[in-house]
Amino acid sequence: MKADRRTLFQKPWEFREAALIAILLNAAGFAIQYSLGGTGITMPEWPMNAITLLLSACLILAVGLSYRHNPFIAWLGGIPLGLSLILTLAALSFIGGMVPQGTAGNPTALRLGLHSIFSSWPFALIVSLFLWNLGLSLSWKLVPFSLKNLQFILFHAGFWIALSCGIFGSSDLQRLVLPVQEGQASNQGYIMKSKQAQEIPFSVFLHDFSIEEYPPQLMLYDPKNDRLIMNSSQAIPEVRAGATAEWKGISVKVTDFIPSGLPGKEGTPVPADPAIGIPFAKVRISGAAGKGELWLSTGGPMLKPGAVDLDGLFLFMVPGSPKSFRSAVTLRDENGLETIANLEVNKPVNFKGWKIYQMGYDEESGKFSTLSLLEVIRDPWLPAVYLGFFMMLGANALFFWNGIKKSGASL
Amino acid sequence: MIIDFTTAAYLSIAFWALGSMLGIAAKSSTALRKTATALNLGGSLIMIAFIAIYWHALERPPLRTLGETRLWYAALIPLVGLLVEYRWKISWLKYYCMGLAAFFLTINLLHPEVFDKALMPALQSPWFIPHVVVYLVGYVLLAASSVAGWHNIFLTYRMKDLKSNDALAHYLALLGFVFLTFGLVFGALWAKDAWGNYWSWDPKETWAFIAWLIYLGYLHAVSYKINRLKLQWYLALAFLVLLVSWFGVNYLPTAANSVHTYQQS
Repeated sequence: MKADRRTLFQKPWEFREAALIAILLNAAGFAIQYSLGGTGITMPEWPMNAITLLLSACLILAVGLSYRHNPFIAWLGGIPLGLSLILTLAALSFIGGMVPQGTAGNPTALRLGLHSIFSSWPFALIVSLFLWNLGLSLSWKLVPFSLKNLQFILFHAGFWIALSCGIFGSSDLQRLVLPVQEGQASNQGYIMKSKQAQEIPFSVFLHDFSIEEYPPQLMLYDPKNDRLIMNSSQAIPEVRAGATAEWKGISVKVTDFIPSGLPGKEGTPVPADPAIGIPFAKVRISGAAGKGELWLSTGGPMLKPGAVDLDGLFLFMVPGSPKSFRSAVTLRDENGLETIANLEVNKPVNFKGWKIYQMGYDEESGKFSTLSLLEVIRDPWLPAVYLGFFMMLGANALFFWNGIKKSGASL
Repeated sequence: MIIDFTTAAYLSIAFWALGSMLGIAAKSSTALRKTATALNLGGSLIMIAFIAIYWHALERPPLRTLGETRLWYAALIPLVGLLVEYRWKISWLKYYCMGLAAFFLTINLLHPEVFDKALMPALQSPWFIPHVVVYLVGYVLLAASSVAGWHNIFLTYRMKDLKSNDALAHYLALLGFVFLTFGLVFGALWAKDAWGNYWSWDPKETWAFIAWLIYLGYLHAVSYKINRLKLQWYLALAFLVLLVSWFGVNYLPTAANSVHTYQQS
């Protein structure tokens, strides 16, 4: 083995050359990034990005098919380089997974692009070479075409398409936050990072914003140690009529529960419209620090929350976390075309090539918020990226199937 | 709840331990071996029953917190070991699998979870179960492939390596990779619906991508015909990256920016 050990760059090139090239490319990338003062790459916008991508694809295909027997091209589209680039991508992603990504950090790290690794020069250079490697290997399996190569083609082409379109298309992505007040319409979006205003080609009228909450919860707070005391079953007790909660020496039973109420005469709350009411619970506290029966509330815009002092520990009721929140809206384009929609988290609505998302609300007002924060996104390259994703999934389904057949024979 | 977690976990571990001891002692006795398998299976069935009861009590699938995913993991990985034994007559894998399962249950015993029913709106999606379950199955298979890798390294140093053991490690990794890809893409499709972006380099996404690349690298290393012992080391160690992406992420400096941390504690 040692006798015929190759020297570096002796033909044909293999893994060691590939690893060296990847390292040099990274070094070059970081040097460029540093000398440019930390500015990463900005992608050209439509149609330049599409033209660049199309020309690159044609060039890769042409080079692959014309020079497939050239040793350098064979290496450029070969497994050793592919493996080394996969591991380099993993290493660069590792930086992205360890160093918080953003705009804050050590000046040298910022200048090297460590805090924005995925738009940095080294990442761009490695991805470019990777697209060449992937594209060349694909060209050789595409021509001449054989059904036997279907799994290879689907996976590699899918990955190529998803990766290239995701990156080249990122400059055409429009993403705006759209705040709307109940009873008002708006077409004034904001870019989240720069707070810069931008008009969208349709308006959103908010009829109603509503929140559904989980039941309120009972908590026992120890102010001396600033911590919540857990009961023996490690559960945070939910408030429902008849619910009981036990802590060491303290037993609480909810004897009455009004999910939405307002304070009434002599401290007894009365049920009220959910739009204005807050949860009230009547609890019976027994045990060492027994207090008999009393009313607790979570508090709201007009009422402070009540807490019960139990020998230095405080029992109180907190509002349940939001279960769902939704906005009833009318979307209206420039020509007066209208659509009524219900926006909810995980249920975006399509309108005129845009996707509209329920994003948030005024959290200080909680369920009384009359402000709904929507997000409007236009991503014209999405179908191409999804095509890539589905090709990869198809390839993996084939991989699974063929894997079973093959291993059945070899095991 | 009818059974609490502590009882269920100790019962499962006891079943697996008894089954393992009986399995090793059984040697050629078919009756004893069958009893051992029944005990091993019983350990997992207890966990599955517990998950079902827990699911019912929570009124949502117990897949939100890391502790909850460890329950599934503990239930499923011994089943992979038993399946491999049933299908390919390789019996050593199941012992490691049960060891791993017991280890993950022990973590949960040492760090009891806060019992919280709330499922935030972003997690209320038809993608929730497929995304997490596909990933869990992938992790289970890749954990088994890592175990097989360690076992093969050990055998190599004792000059007892077998082709069929290598093939087993490889096949588990291949299957695991398929599930990992599905999990990653399902996650991207879900993210588009929930946050508007199919990919945003969230720390959890980044680590899932790294893990995916590492196993992609493995498959290419196999095609490159790298020395078999190196491949076993690769598989054995690759699982560490998967562990980071599974729960190590929560302890990294990047975790503060993650949208994937669903635990208060």
